[in-house]
Amino acid sequence: MKFFAFHLMPWDRLPADFAERYDSAWTTVPNSLYDSQHGGQLYNDYLDQLVLADKLGFDGVCVNEHHQNAYGTMPSPNLMASILARQTNNVKIAVVGNALPLYNPPTRVAEEFAMIDCISGGRLIAGLVVGGGPEYYSFSLNPTHARSMYREAFDLVLRCWTETGPFEHYGQHWKLRYVNPWPRPIQQPHPPIWIPGAGSKETIQFVAQRRFAYMGIPYFHLDFFQRNFDLFRDACEKNGYTADPEQLGWLLPIYVAESDEQAWAEYEEHLWYFVRNLLKGLVIFPPGYTSVRSIAGIQRGLQQFMTSCQTRDDIERGGYAIVGSPDTVREKLKTYSQRLGVGNLLGLFQIGTLPHELACKNMTLFAEQVMPKLRAESQR
Amino acid sequence: MTPNVQHRFLHVGGKKTQLMTLGAGPPLVYLHSAGGETEAIPFHHKLAEHYTVYAPAHPGFALSEGLNDILDIHDLAWHCVDLFAALELENVPVVGYSLGAWLAVELAILRPQLVSRLGLISAAGLHVEGAPMGELFIDDFDKLRELIFFDPNSAAALETTPSSPDDSRMLMWLRAREATARVGWNPYLHDPKLPRHLHRVTQPTTLVWGRHDKMIPLAHGEYYAEHLPCATLQILEACGHGVPWEKCEEAAALLV
Repeated sequence: MKFFAFHLMPWDRLPADFAERYDSAWTTVPNSLYDSQHGGQLYNDYLDQLVLADKLGFDGVCVNEHHQNAYGTMPSPNLMASILARQTNNVKIAVVGNALPLYNPPTRVAEEFAMIDCISGGRLIAGLVVGGGPEYYSFSLNPTHARSMYREAFDLVLRCWTETGPFEHYGQHWKLRYVNPWPRPIQQPHPPIWIPGAGSKETIQFVAQRRFAYMGIPYFHLDFFQRNFDLFRDACEKNGYTADPEQLGWLLPIYVAESDEQAWAEYEEHLWYFVRNLLKGLVIFPPGYTSVRSIAGIQRGLQQFMTSCQTRDDIERGGYAIVGSPDTVREKLKTYSQRLGVGNLLGLFQIGTLPHELACKNMTLFAEQVMPKLRAESQR
Repeated sequence: MTPNVQHRFLHVGGKKTQLMTLGAGPPLVYLHSAGGETEAIPFHHKLAEHYTVYAPAHPGFALSEGLNDILDIHDLAWHCVDLFAALELENVPVVGYSLGAWLAVELAILRPQLVSRLGLISAAGLHVEGAPMGELFIDDFDKLRELIFFDPNSAAALETTPSSPDDSRMLMWLRAREATARVGWNPYLHDPKLPRHLHRVTQPTTLVWGRHDKMIPLAHGEYYAEHLPCATLQILEACGHGVPWEKCEEAAALLV
């Protein structure tokens, strides 16, 4: 089992009546709510938390890309990853990911990822993603082209890393006469590739066939992850091999404190801020973003999305977040990760309004009292 | 109600195309909106009292196929050219609603001889400074009804949109959204070059608009009326964007 600290870098100062006054924390949420001085402080605190993960012995850190929203104020995860490449020594740096259709031309991703891989001494994990639904609104990018742009860009980025240039690329969406990116990545033939998915059959089949790693989109009920991870393992078998647990990643909020009661007392308000404010208005699938049948399926699946939770009990029963004493968190993670068959645990240790000091305490307790035993057990 | 509603499929330029016909008399082509009204609604029946109404489903709507070959409104207009050829229609009246009205204008520019006169209901197609269109690509049906209808709680408003994700119409609804987004996401439901072509549309044109249209404000109708050489604008009171449902008889009377 590998342990990653995932950061969304959320905005923590939405007004108390945000959920009543605003439709969404995405795309159109007025940026007059953003306070730059405080934003600078947040970025530095959040980076400190990821640097702490390195010192605490996590296997990796994760950053990701979102635009025009309060949920994750990280339009350029590559900026953060390049800072981390310098300020950390051992952790893998997983950028999950760059939303390929948003880069024009997408050779930009091959370039920047190669830079991060070089600076970090080959510690990059390359997340190549379609981009969340809201990005297609925020960029006015046609979501009915999302899949074909993604596939074309994906092949182009891989070709940049595995073939020497210059070569010509002539595709539906990009026509490039001279493709010849400098630099090239340290890791050969290319950095490990992670691809997130929310259960669409197209994505599962693609990732299984190419033997990359599949990261479940978070905030769903455990049963939803189980179904998708089972589908992934089946798809790998159909492609003639057995899935390695490290091809699967489970992303979820985790909070550890000295006791169960203390954990919930310290954590609960910050979790609800996240659920009720930051997830509000999230359009998961704009028109044509994936097949009509997949969209219809996921819309039904939304009954198993975290926003349907009203109580602490709902959160605990669905495994939407793991909260408690080190013993509680360890036992739950052991049980659930074995059931899900995942080899990568991606924890959100800071969420919503959770203050810096509590996020650091959470990570420290996790690294000292949860991670070692889980690691030892998974190696048995 | 006209009894002779028929559905069939044609192959048009390699695309399986669903076609509804109803009524009797001289031909009239009806081009549907983003909502995909491809089954007979009362407004079709009103037109069918005077005409044989041809109502095709655009590629990607209903059971029509071929969206992969449609990249913008002009591809859709070329598909209409092919469809008119397949039906041996020429010099016929064309009525379009919203997305379909935009398509009708593009068709009249591309092949003027196919269109004898135009009926344009709440037409998309323009960007009018100071009169932004509403956001059509939202998942919340309550908000969508408020956007489209003067009275969002009317029976007509309620029956035109699915009521829940389990509604049996959901798949067709999602198909219609995708096919609309394909031609209307960016530029948003308009063709930036269209204003420079409007002087070429010399057919007699009737524009029909709801006074309270929040989806495509009346200013768009006024722009069309001013720049189309032979157009008149008819404004319906107490009416939003849902003209064929909200003012079925009045709108039909203006267009027959």
